[in-house]
Amino acid sequence: MISKKVTLVNAQGFHMRPADDFVKAVKKYSCKVTMTHNGKPVNLMNKMFIIASAIKCGQEVELTCDGPDEEAAMAELAGMIEAGFGE
Amino acid sequence: MMKGLGAPEGYGIGRVMLISEKNLSYTPREIADVDAELERFRTAVKKFTEETLAQAQTVRETVGEKEAKILEGHISIIDDDFMRGEIENLISAHQCAESAVEQMCQMFIDMFMASGDELTMQRAADVRDVRDSMLAILLGVNEVKISDAPAGTVLVVRELTPSMTAGIKRDNIVGIITETGSQTSHSAILARAMEIPAVLSVPNALAQLSTGEQVIVDGFTGDVVTAPAQEVIDEYTSKRDTYLREKRELELYRGKPTVSASGEHYELCCNIGSPKDASKAMEKDGEGVGLFRTEFLFMDRSSLPTEDEQFDAYKTAAMVLKGKPLIIRTLDIGGDKEIPYLGLEKEENPFMGFRAIRYCLKNRDMFKSQIKAILRASAFGDVRIMFPLITAVEELREGRALVEEAKSDLRASGIEFNEDIPVGVMTETSASGVIADLLAKEADFFSIGTNDLTGYTMACDRGNSNVGYLYSPFQPSVLRLIKSIIENGVKAGIPVGMCGEAAANPMMIPLLMSFGLTEFSVSAVSVLKVRKNIAKWTKAEADEVAAKVMAMSTEKEITDYLKTVV
Repeated sequence: MISKKVTLVNAQGFHMRPADDFVKAVKKYSCKVTMTHNGKPVNLMNKMFIIASAIKCGQEVELTCDGPDEEAAMAELAGMIEAGFGE
Repeated sequence: MMKGLGAPEGYGIGRVMLISEKNLSYTPREIADVDAELERFRTAVKKFTEETLAQAQTVRETVGEKEAKILEGHISIIDDDFMRGEIENLISAHQCAESAVEQMCQMFIDMFMASGDELTMQRAADVRDVRDSMLAILLGVNEVKISDAPAGTVLVVRELTPSMTAGIKRDNIVGIITETGSQTSHSAILARAMEIPAVLSVPNALAQLSTGEQVIVDGFTGDVVTAPAQEVIDEYTSKRDTYLREKRELELYRGKPTVSASGEHYELCCNIGSPKDASKAMEKDGEGVGLFRTEFLFMDRSSLPTEDEQFDAYKTAAMVLKGKPLIIRTLDIGGDKEIPYLGLEKEENPFMGFRAIRYCLKNRDMFKSQIKAILRASAFGDVRIMFPLITAVEELREGRALVEEAKSDLRASGIEFNEDIPVGVMTETSASGVIADLLAKEADFFSIGTNDLTGYTMACDRGNSNVGYLYSPFQPSVLRLIKSIIENGVKAGIPVGMCGEAAANPMMIPLLMSFGLTEFSVSAVSVLKVRKNIAKWTKAEADEVAAKVMAMSTEKEITDYLKTVV
């Protein structure tokens, strides 16, 4: 199991498109992915739950990946957030 | 006349077209044939997707890519494995498609509204838009055709939704009035993107106005003028034409460098009071931030902000600026501002009293936590520190020593920051102007605060009507200080900016150019105007004007002359 803290850098935070892309990326991997924000778990089943968590620019989330492809999953998911979802 | 919030600016004169709410009421029923109902739902999703894609395409052509993406995002709300799965589960449990769709949408609307976060709450509007479009399809209710609106139409709607914008022909719609929405709502963002003047949040606009009646929309004041007389229409027509002409002229300067007619380059930054303003500065084409006032972090609360809270705010601003300069002014607080938890005593003479750098140097723990927060933010952009109200070299030295202390604390904890962070002086007292040569040897930059500089130099309170006439940055004394500050900075090879109101004054601009100012910092709305004003002058012309002005003896002589040259 690996975990990493990452900070949101895009001005609009986790809005519709980033949340959608993120959920799709999570589903590509077989490992169990969890994310916490302010100590609370964020439901990664659907982008709407992520949006409802109101995670803003400058705030930190903790990602955890647990399973055979955890390294690859962490690299892609943390990378997406760190790159500001390309915004 | 009716009143609301103006956004965006501009004037619209036209005739009302009411877009009433569609009747989306239905009676929930128990479904016997589940398969048929599932099929009905799937067909509706397909139709919704097709319609929305077509709308997005129209919006892409008429409004812009960003707005089209909002609409395409609507498809992904409903055409999504999880969402479809949940809705189909409800239908399989014998709910009708209408109530299944509504229940799932409502759940997210409620969650978004409960977040308490403004941006997230606004996204509830997207879900409402999807819900209403889906219900309209399921119920077979036809959309009102906004695209049929004739030229010169003022649209009156409860809320301007992304799907509505698809029908708006920009040539035909001259104004928008909504019943709901703040200046940051979808309604406002969409109206701004389409550059249609709008007045938002007008209570009962749909009930009070009738289709076909003449109306004027004032996006500056938020006024909606009903039944205007001919002379009022004429007045607004000429205001509108002037506004549009000036706006077209200013837009030519967007995205351009700030450069004089003879080719000298200047930096043109913005003054901000919160991280949110930083986005506005970028939107208005600012080249950075010349003054970030940090007081907002300390006001309206009952205890000091923590280092982390401050760090969050500074870092957010730094990230929004994406490497452009960000000058953060340390706390400028004193006896004239009420911050109960600081325990400041009421003073006889607060402006000459225990404030700004003087207070901070005596409250070192508080000051150091602010400096550490700024240093930590410097790992995320071109962040600079500025001390306010410097009157003596020792204050700068003491402040710099504290910066060094904060740096070694951070180094010890292995926290990243910019080792070479520039530390500058806000020159806003006559004392700092007179010793500018001494300060320039030890400061990394100057920024002239003309508001306090004028008040302190003329020993006058601008709010006092008996002496307010003395308050002018065009007083020869103030101009001499400004000139000396700039020249001493230039001689020492450090950048000199101006972050006071005077930096945006068209009469001051040629003088500052001539004295050698390197950076203008103004409010976001003034950026393009200042850039245009700087572009008007060659250095030689500015020098000529400055030479004449500096030989004059009175403020009146100077301003009378400057009025003739701008």
